[in-house]
Amino acid sequence: MMLLFILAIPLAAGALSFAARKRPAMEAINLSAFAVLFLLAAALAARVLQRGSLAVWNGFLRADALSALVVLLTALVGLICSVYAVGYFRDDERNRVFEEDVLGAVTISKLRKYYALTPLFVFSMLLVALADNLGVMWVAVEATTLISVFLVTFYGRATSLEAAWKYAIIGGVGLSMALLGTILTYYSAHNILGTETLAGLNWSVLAAQASQFDKTTMKLAFILILLGYGTKAGVAPMHTWKPDAYSEAPVPAAAILSTATLNCALYGLVRFYILASRCLGADYPGRLLLLFGVLSMGISVPFVLIQRNFRRLLAYHTIDHAGIMVTALGIGGPLGALGFTLHMTFHTVAKSLLFLCAGTVYQHFRTDLFRKIKSGVIRVLPFAGTVFLMATLAIVGTPPFSLFQSEFLILRAAFAAHHYVSAVLFVLFGAGIFAGAVLHIGNLVLGPAEARPLARWYPWRDSAVLVSTALLVIMGFWLPGPVFGLIQDAARIVAGGP
Amino acid sequence: MTFFWQDPQFGDKMITLMAAVVLVLQILMVAQRWLVTNIRAFGVQSFLLASIAFTIAYFNHAPHIYIVAALTLVFKAILLPVVLERLVMKLEIRQEIEPFVNVPISVIVSGLLTLLAYVVAESFYRPAEATVPASLGHNTLAVAIALFLIGFFMMVNRRKALAQVLGLLCLENGLFLAAISLTYGMPLLVELGILFDLLVAVLVLGILVYRIQETFDSMDVSKLSRLRG
Repeated sequence: MMLLFILAIPLAAGALSFAARKRPAMEAINLSAFAVLFLLAAALAARVLQRGSLAVWNGFLRADALSALVVLLTALVGLICSVYAVGYFRDDERNRVFEEDVLGAVTISKLRKYYALTPLFVFSMLLVALADNLGVMWVAVEATTLISVFLVTFYGRATSLEAAWKYAIIGGVGLSMALLGTILTYYSAHNILGTETLAGLNWSVLAAQASQFDKTTMKLAFILILLGYGTKAGVAPMHTWKPDAYSEAPVPAAAILSTATLNCALYGLVRFYILASRCLGADYPGRLLLLFGVLSMGISVPFVLIQRNFRRLLAYHTIDHAGIMVTALGIGGPLGALGFTLHMTFHTVAKSLLFLCAGTVYQHFRTDLFRKIKSGVIRVLPFAGTVFLMATLAIVGTPPFSLFQSEFLILRAAFAAHHYVSAVLFVLFGAGIFAGAVLHIGNLVLGPAEARPLARWYPWRDSAVLVSTALLVIMGFWLPGPVFGLIQDAARIVAGGP
Repeated sequence: MTFFWQDPQFGDKMITLMAAVVLVLQILMVAQRWLVTNIRAFGVQSFLLASIAFTIAYFNHAPHIYIVAALTLVFKAILLPVVLERLVMKLEIRQEIEPFVNVPISVIVSGLLTLLAYVVAESFYRPAEATVPASLGHNTLAVAIALFLIGFFMMVNRRKALAQVLGLLCLENGLFLAAISLTYGMPLLVELGILFDLLVAVLVLGILVYRIQETFDSMDVSKLSRLRG
C-alpha cells in the first residue's frame, strides 16, 4: 500500500497543479505533496530496514534497501527544491523574466508548466526505483527524459531549444541502446525462465537465476546497458548534453536533474551490474565500469579548469561525480559498494545545495558568467555566498565534510583491490577538479566587491539553502544510525548479497 | 495432409522475405533525398514489421503478439507517418534531406553496416539450444541489428531536425524486430509501455522541431552551436 501512495501522491499533485488557476494554489499543492512524499519515503525506508523488502501487485512494485535509498534521496531533493522553487519563481515574476504580458497569462502558464511537470518528473523517477520489471524501469527512465525536456525549454530562449534538442536526441539514442540491452538480457534468460510472462523480466526473478544465463549475450547486453544508462547518467563520452541542459533549465529543476535523475540512471545501471556480475563474475563488468568512470573524471577536469560559466562548472562537476560513482561500482567488493552508496547520498545533498546557491547568485546578478559578476559575492549575498563556498569545498572532498569520507573509502577500496592505476588517476583528477572549482568559486565569492547594496534575506530560497546546509554539515560529523543502516544494506545489495 | 499455411517452414520463409524487404527499404531511405518519401518508406517498413509480428503470432500460437502487431500497425504504420507528413506540410520546409556524406558513400556505409550486423548476429546463432524456431533467430536478428546501426548512421549523417527524428524511428524499428525475433517480443505490458513512450517521444520531438523552425527559421541543427565549453 505504501508503495502505491508514494507513486500516487506526485501523480495527483501533477494533475492538480495542471488544473489549478492561481499561483498560491500551485505552490501549496507542490509543497504539501512533497512534504507528505518525504514522510512516506522515510516510513518506507524504516520498513525496509526492518523487513528487508516489500512488494505489491504480484511483485510489480518492489522495494529493497537500494530502491528505498534512491526513493528517500529523490523525495529529499524534491522537498528542498519545491521550497526553493517558490522563491525562485516569485523572483522571476517580479523581474519580468517571462515574456511581456499585460494579463499575466504567460506567467501563469509558465508556472503551471513547472509546477505540473516537476511532480510528474519525480513520479517517473520514483517508478524507476520501485518497478521490479526491468522493461517497466526502462519505460520510466525514458519518461524522465521526455518530461524533463520541457523543463529544459522552460525559458524558451534559442539556447534552451538547442540544449533541449541535444538532450532529447542524445538521450533518445542512448536509451534505445539500453532497451536493446534489456531485450538481450531477456533473451539470455529466456532459455531458463521461458517466455511470455511478465515475471520473466522481473529483476528479483532474474537475479536468482543469473548464474545460468547465456554468457555471450549477457556480455553484449551489459555493454549496451552501460552505454545506454551511462548516457542518461552523463558518463563520458556521452556527457555532452549535460552542461547545456543544466545551465538552461530553471535552477530547481537543474538541481533535481543533477542529483535525483543521476541517481536513477545509476540505479538502473546497478541493477544490471548485479545481474552481469552474477552471470560473468565481477571482473568483466568491473573493468568496463572502471574504464568509463575514470574517463569521465578525466574529461571533466579541463572543462572545470577553463570554465567561464558557473552553472556549467557545476554540470561538469556532476560528470566528474558520476565518474567517481561508476568507478566505485567498477572497483566493486563490499568496500567499493559502500563507497558507491555513501557517495550517492552525500553527493545528492551537497550538489543540490550547490545548484541552489548558484541559483540565488544567478538571480541576484542576472548572469551566470564569472566575467560579468567579477567577484565579491560574499559582500552582497553574505549568506548564499558563504554557503556557496562552503559547499564547493565540501563537494571537492575537503576533509571535515562527508564527501571526503566516501571518496577516501573509494580510494581505499581501489588500493585494496589492486587497481593502482585507477587509484592514482583518481587522486590526480580529484586534485585537478579541486584546483579548478575552488579557484573559480573562491574568486567569485571572495574578493573586493563593487558598491552594491546588501541583499535582503530571501525567505523561501534562503531557508531551503539553510536546511540543506544544516544537513550537509551534520552529515560530516554524524550520520544517524538508521540512515547508515540503510546505506549499508543498499551497499550489500550492490555488492551482490541477497 | 498439411496445407502451406499450416507449415512452419512456409512461415519462416515469409518472415525472411519480409525482413529482406525491410532492409531494402532502409537502404532506400538512406539513398533518396526527399523527406516525404522517407516518411512513407518508414510507414511501409512499419507495416512489414507488423506483418512479421502477425506471421509469428499465427505460426507460433502466441496470442499476445497479435495485440502488439495490431498496435504497431495502427500507430507506427499509419498514425506516425500521417502526423509527420502533416508536420512537414505545416512547416513548409524545403524538402531535401541534405546529408553530410553524399548518397553513394552513404549507401556503401549502410552495406558495410549490414555486413557487420551479420557478423554480430552470427555469434548469437546457436540452433541447438534455441527455443524459438531456428531460422527466425538468424536472418531476422541480422536485419534488426542492421536497422539499428543504419538508423544510428542516419541520425549522425543528417543535418535536418526532422530527418534525424526519422533516423531515431528506424533505430526503434530495429529494436522492435530484435525483440520479436529473439524472444517473441517482450511481455505485453512492456511492449505497450515502449510504444507509448515512442509516441510521446515523437510528439516531444515534433514540438521541438516546430519551435526550432520558428526560432531559427531553419531546421538545420548543425546551426545549433551556441552552447560550448
